[in-house]
Amino acid sequence: MTDPVELLPLLVVVVLLLSLSGERVEQMEVVFEGDREITEIDDVLVVGGGTVTVPANENVSGPVYVVGGDLRIRGRLDGDVDQLAGNVTVVGTGAVAGELRTIAGNASVAPGATVGTRTTVPIVQQEPSPAREYGFLALRALVLALAAGLLARREPALLRNVGDSVVHHPVVSGVVGAFTGATALALFVFMAFTLVLIPVSLFGLAVGLLTVAYAYVAYGYLVGRALPGDRPDLAAAAGAALVVVAVDLLGRVPLVGTAVQFVLVATGLGAVLVTYYGFREFEPALADFPE
Amino acid sequence: MRLFGFLRERRWTPAVGYGLFVALLAAGYYYNVTFVQLGLLDLGTRLVGMTETQVSVWMAALALLTFGVAVATGVTMDRRGWSADLLVKLRLLFGVVALQTVLTAGAPAIRTVPAFGAWIVAASVALGVGIPASFGLTVDLVPVEDRGYVAAATTALAYFAANVYPLDWSIESFAAIMVAAMVPGALALGVLASGRVGPANRLLAGLADQHEEWGVGRFCRPRPVRTRSVAFWGPVALMFGVFFVDSLGFLRIVETPALVRGAWRSPDFADHLFLGVVHVLGALVAGVLYANFDRNWLFAWVFGLFSLTHLFYTTDVRVAAWFPGLASGGASPLNSAVYAVAVSFYTTLNFALWPDLSTPDTVGAHTALGVGLAGWVATFLSTAVALYFEAAEVTLLSHLNLVNALALLLFAGLVAAVYLRRLVAAAREASAG
Repeated sequence: MTDPVELLPLLVVVVLLLSLSGERVEQMEVVFEGDREITEIDDVLVVGGGTVTVPANENVSGPVYVVGGDLRIRGRLDGDVDQLAGNVTVVGTGAVAGELRTIAGNASVAPGATVGTRTTVPIVQQEPSPAREYGFLALRALVLALAAGLLARREPALLRNVGDSVVHHPVVSGVVGAFTGATALALFVFMAFTLVLIPVSLFGLAVGLLTVAYAYVAYGYLVGRALPGDRPDLAAAAGAALVVVAVDLLGRVPLVGTAVQFVLVATGLGAVLVTYYGFREFEPALADFPE
Repeated sequence: MRLFGFLRERRWTPAVGYGLFVALLAAGYYYNVTFVQLGLLDLGTRLVGMTETQVSVWMAALALLTFGVAVATGVTMDRRGWSADLLVKLRLLFGVVALQTVLTAGAPAIRTVPAFGAWIVAASVALGVGIPASFGLTVDLVPVEDRGYVAAATTALAYFAANVYPLDWSIESFAAIMVAAMVPGALALGVLASGRVGPANRLLAGLADQHEEWGVGRFCRPRPVRTRSVAFWGPVALMFGVFFVDSLGFLRIVETPALVRGAWRSPDFADHLFLGVVHVLGALVAGVLYANFDRNWLFAWVFGLFSLTHLFYTTDVRVAAWFPGLASGGASPLNSAVYAVAVSFYTTLNFALWPDLSTPDTVGAHTALGVGLAGWVATFLSTAVALYFEAAEVTLLSHLNLVNALALLLFAGLVAAVYLRRLVAAAREASAG
């Protein structure tokens, strides 16, 4: 049987495609295992595992989605076949009246078989070119440097508060960042599975990414404070660019580099959160506790 | 942490006090979550021959009796000044451990319902006395600044041990490990509490006065929290909600093989080790948060985590209903991991909160009411509700949905209440200014 963990995202994609095409999702029939011969499709058939056969001399109408297992067409299928994974075989006597669209998986059409239209969506695995890679890095450095320079000039207190939390309360910031990041990520992924909450999930992920970017800017401000010069905004911008490059280089060091990256991002994220995006200084609850 | 300062200054007496506290509380909690919660169910169903429902009724009786004894003991401790007397608390605990050792050793021999009932009554007395006596040690042994971290260490130790050993949930396994640990523990406690052994007396003399400096809890400054105040009953209500949500959900989860096969009832040791490590991490996070944030944040996180974990479980159950072919895969390990974090969070909070709402004059009654009402009575009520659901043939999805809804309601209610409180305060400041 197909691994459910692998299958579930593809099923979500199928549900999305069905919703977009106006089909009724609740009428979807999914086959997960075993050998089955079909002579009728109620509304939509999804092949997730096992083997589904359209027998010779049978005429079956309806769309079929293949996300795993095998679909063998010996008779006639009046409808489209969308293949996201698995195997589709149209034997010599078989026919697909609509379109056979292969996005991934193996499809074979025997000589003599008829297929209305056959399309293959090309998925080209591109090796990242150095120019593109470094260009993107430079773009990130530039954008964050601009943000750091602007904030350091107009609202330096925001960056100071976040930076102070990183420097003076790294444990609290790291714990809050790691914990909130992990739970929020899990929550957004599960929200996406509900389909209706996909926009909320995407919005949440975008806010998360912006918050991480803000943390980079705060790190840039901290680095900028150590740089020579009397222009805090320029120093913060240079610091942010340096941080982006340094964190990227860290990611190229196996294991230790990634671990340090994680700690930096978690601590920065936490510092942003505990200071309410820099609008407040972080004061531990027991900071002024009488001895 | 002040502990590091003590170690740097080679002040061993307070440092030993930390160790004594963590060892006693972690052992007591381990006993509670393994022997009492799991072992008694096995004893009642397998050896005595009762149905699970009958055992649940007895467990509910145990919870109510324990609460009653705890409150009576706590109030007595406060009125007679025992709450501020370390030696008396240790003597009470010695009595508790001695009685529990005898009860634990004898439990696997029980075969009749009356004997089971008598055992429950005796165990309730031991547990009820043990709650204020053990939690009351906080004022003597743990300075306020370190209570979150010490509570975290206690939680981590108890849950790590409970998850990795023993894997076999039988009364014989539990009794064997407990008696092996309790006999030397009882002897050591007896020596400490006897007042007749020189080194033990010197240690106690060093620890006995610490409550004068450390005894007034974090939330009792500048004014002590009175028993009849919202400042005390608010946290009791919130913690009651936490225990109720946890217990009501877990009672059903643990009875559903598909949901526990890859977690608490897994035959694979790696699954248990994973849960144990997650409990440790969760407790450490909770310790840091408790020391650095307002307690309401921690409550909000606990309710949020319970909402999240039940959202995961209900999603799994829904997916299984929509796509039966996927159901054989069981629940994701993420579900039990988030559950473990939530449990570690509130257990850490539970260890630190009640002493922090107390002074040496009130710690007996406050810990008894807090732990007894929020912990034991909530468990009693959730057991009753779970039994009702079972009788009403409520489906798994509906049951978990209700728990999820309750957790979400408490989460949203708490956030709204905190916000409203701040809003009112801001409005008053504005009108006064």
